[in-house]
Amino acid sequence: MSMQKTADSNRSSNAGLSMDNQEKLLADALQNVRQHAFAMKRVLDQQSVMEGLKHAANMLGELRTSLLSPKNYYELHVVVVEELHHLELYLADEFEHGRGSHDLYEVVQYAGNIVPRLYLLITIGHVYIRANELPRREVLRDLVEMCRGVQHPLRGLFLRNYLLQCVKSLLPDTEEDNQEESKTGTILDSLDFILLNFSEMNKLWVRMQYQGHTRDLQRREQERRELRILVGTNLVRLSELECVNVERYKTIVLPKIMEQVVSCRDPIAQEYLMECIIQVFPDEYHLNTLNEFLKACRELSSNVNIRNILISLIDRLTAYSTREGTQQNIPENVELFEIFSEQIAEVIKSRINMPSEDIVALQSALLNLSLKCYRDQYEYGNKVLENTRKIFDNIASDTQVPTGTQTAKELVKMLKIPIDCYDILDVLKLNHYKLGLQLLSYRERHTVCMYIINGILDKETIIPTAEQVTQLFELLSTLIVDQADNPSEASRQTITNEDFVEEQNLVARLYNNFQAVNDPDQQYHIIKICQETFKNGGLERMRFTYPPIIMQAYALTFRYKTICEQDEKWEKKCQKLFQLCNQLVNTLTKLETNDLPLRLYLQGALAASEIGSENAETIAYEFFSQAYTLYEEQAGDTRAQCASLTLLIGTLEKVTCFGEENHSTLRQSLTQAATRLVKRPDQVRTLLLCTHLFWSAQRVNESTQKSEQVRDGEKVLACLKKATKLTTQIMDQSVQVQLYNELLNCYIYYFNQNHPDIDITVLNSLIEKLQSETSKISSNESDEFIHNQIKKTFDYLRQQSQVEKFQGLQINN
Amino acid sequence: MLVLVLGDLHIPYRVSGLPHEFRKLLTPGRIQHILCTGNLCTKETVDYLKTLTADVHIVRGDFDDNPNFADQKVVTVGQFRIGLCHGHQIVPWGDVESLSVLQRQMDVDILITGHTHKFEAFERDNKFFINPGSATGAFNALNSSTTPSFVLMDIQQASLTLYVYQLINEKFTVERLEYRKA
Repeated sequence: MSMQKTADSNRSSNAGLSMDNQEKLLADALQNVRQHAFAMKRVLDQQSVMEGLKHAANMLGELRTSLLSPKNYYELHVVVVEELHHLELYLADEFEHGRGSHDLYEVVQYAGNIVPRLYLLITIGHVYIRANELPRREVLRDLVEMCRGVQHPLRGLFLRNYLLQCVKSLLPDTEEDNQEESKTGTILDSLDFILLNFSEMNKLWVRMQYQGHTRDLQRREQERRELRILVGTNLVRLSELECVNVERYKTIVLPKIMEQVVSCRDPIAQEYLMECIIQVFPDEYHLNTLNEFLKACRELSSNVNIRNILISLIDRLTAYSTREGTQQNIPENVELFEIFSEQIAEVIKSRINMPSEDIVALQSALLNLSLKCYRDQYEYGNKVLENTRKIFDNIASDTQVPTGTQTAKELVKMLKIPIDCYDILDVLKLNHYKLGLQLLSYRERHTVCMYIINGILDKETIIPTAEQVTQLFELLSTLIVDQADNPSEASRQTITNEDFVEEQNLVARLYNNFQAVNDPDQQYHIIKICQETFKNGGLERMRFTYPPIIMQAYALTFRYKTICEQDEKWEKKCQKLFQLCNQLVNTLTKLETNDLPLRLYLQGALAASEIGSENAETIAYEFFSQAYTLYEEQAGDTRAQCASLTLLIGTLEKVTCFGEENHSTLRQSLTQAATRLVKRPDQVRTLLLCTHLFWSAQRVNESTQKSEQVRDGEKVLACLKKATKLTTQIMDQSVQVQLYNELLNCYIYYFNQNHPDIDITVLNSLIEKLQSETSKISSNESDEFIHNQIKKTFDYLRQQSQVEKFQGLQINN
Repeated sequence: MLVLVLGDLHIPYRVSGLPHEFRKLLTPGRIQHILCTGNLCTKETVDYLKTLTADVHIVRGDFDDNPNFADQKVVTVGQFRIGLCHGHQIVPWGDVESLSVLQRQMDVDILITGHTHKFEAFERDNKFFINPGSATGAFNALNSSTTPSFVLMDIQQASLTLYVYQLINEKFTVERLEYRKA
């Protein structure tokens, strides 16, 4: 018979859990609750307490159901409690007006069913305590004991939750018993009450796990998680009691809680409650009970995710200790780092099957703690990194963490911590950091290296010594030289690979942060180190890493020059730098285009000229002639050649250290090169630029040893005439007119410069020529801008014709 | 209408990046146009400028290898025609007379050039010439020390207010200049 009944109820409970049915069950129950509540309120209005209690009991009877899911039971409970509040208010009101009956607490004990009976007892007990009808201490103890009568987990949990809610404001929170109104109780009574309620609730909650079929396990665990807050509320309440101080927490509260947590042996409960303890109690409490807490951690079920609990505690204390300045919040007697370090080692040792990502995550939290709480004690951070390495070495030495795994991700996270907390110079003091990095495979190493560089650039950290540069390179070798374990062998590291370009540009940017401020010799040293390191990176990397070295070497020669009076070897050092640059640029000429090396040579020629050291001319000539050779090799790419020649001319115009012999060789070579360009317009335009090489360009006068402008009017004129002649040979009339206009402007320039052979007559003949040629070309849209350019030239001339110098200028309209 | 004028950044060949102080100032959404005299050197820097505003005009510097950059550009903002050119093609470099020729031929009210890494702004024959200098204070073989600088132009129809931002000995200075179109 009873077997039959169990089977029935099981069936119905399964049926009850289907969604539609659940809604209907809840609706029905709520409907009943409302009806009973309505009846209860009506009779209470007629002052009929006993009738009211009867209806209340009927209403509470709905909470006896086993059919509702926890979520729906909760909804029902909310409504019932709300209605029950009416009864409570009514009774309290009665007492306030001296009409309260004194036997209700006895009377309701005769209610037929236990669930309604206990809800009513709690409600009335609450009212009686408030009205001083019964001694508080006795009632509290009575209620919390009597609730044991309900052993069904769901019903029991909600019942005790109601109890806790009701007595919230009634729990004694004083050290001494109130003498006048005897037996109000002390804090100790409150602790007994809550701790008992807590352990009873936890037992009910844990029992849920073992009820019903194993096939529903997953659903049940989900339901348990939904209910955990009911149990946790007890802990919240404990944390709110003012009379709970560190001492009491340490001697009573925590041991009692831990006893329950450990003995229940339930992973879900243990995980949640440990987390709950960490979150609800203040940081000072944790600091003073670290050993107790951590000891309990080791006694938890092996299925508990201990990692999250420990990390949560470490993170919380780390945040606490750094909240207002470092370290000041940690009492000196609490050796946070040692304690956690030991405990974590113990935990790792005791859990043989702990996944390696969890181990790394724990070490990570520990590293975070040591760097943040003990900023200046590098040995702590170092220790963590060393231990981490050892743990992996114990598994198998010299292994790499496979790419993409959870462990690899955790390790990357860990290695980012020092970069975030410290600047790189401090990270370099963690000499085990490198060993940690080496655990990773190529892809993750790459990620961390990029992170390191970005960190340096964001913080604008300057790396001031060659030694630190060397150490940094050891960390970053993944980006600097080819790696044996680089998986992307197929997608070669070349300029066509965007990621590679981005990566190497980052390395190049980093180079500029190597600055030995106020110590040129140290800077020289840095340059040498970098050159020796970067040369192992292959040509594809040098394309990016050499130019910054070269430019910095040029800049360094300027620094040597400023201290030439303190350093008598400055010229020798400059020469060495230029030799080095020559060698580096020469390496870059092996690239498929020589644009960059050509420009770098020209920069070198300019720098040597500006430095003006003993053999500046030799160096500048060497650099310039190298650039010229590269220019000649560009034959075939007309556009590039024209651009390069323009730059050669512009540069030579500014290099002032050449004697007449060298300067004359170069300026004539460039002028000839101009006429050898493929396209006529390019020839004309570069020739016009060359005129400046015979005019404002400077070379050293042999006798005075001073720079002087060339001012060779004849040669300027020769260039202009050659340009004019070439212009006449141009077939395209629009282009031809455009060039006549440019020629005229050039003549005007030299007229303004008082060139002896260019006078108004010369200008007038050119103006005439331009005007007659202009009339030949159409005025269609494509030529509009040419007409406009010519108009602008004439506007200018008309304006100038007012000036005395330009008298006699003839411009027709 | 705010127009950012800058150039000769030379990242990564000569400097690691824009000074922190400048970066803080240059926030997206304030600037309508960017006129850049070139020598950005990498795509990353171009992309950075594009985060500040969609309208970015760049001319080619001697260290730019992007063949799509033009040598010269004319942009109209308000009532101003503005000419943009890096300047290494103008010999002698930075020569006022030669720049005037370019200004006339481009038929612009304002001519912006770079290359010398030295801030300059002056009026000549009622036209305005600006060289924003090097925004990163990049090394230049012609002058041993360079001051990082850039220019913001506030253009209201025919009037131009110029704000010159410089970082002199790590101290940030702003100078104001005005110009009205005749």
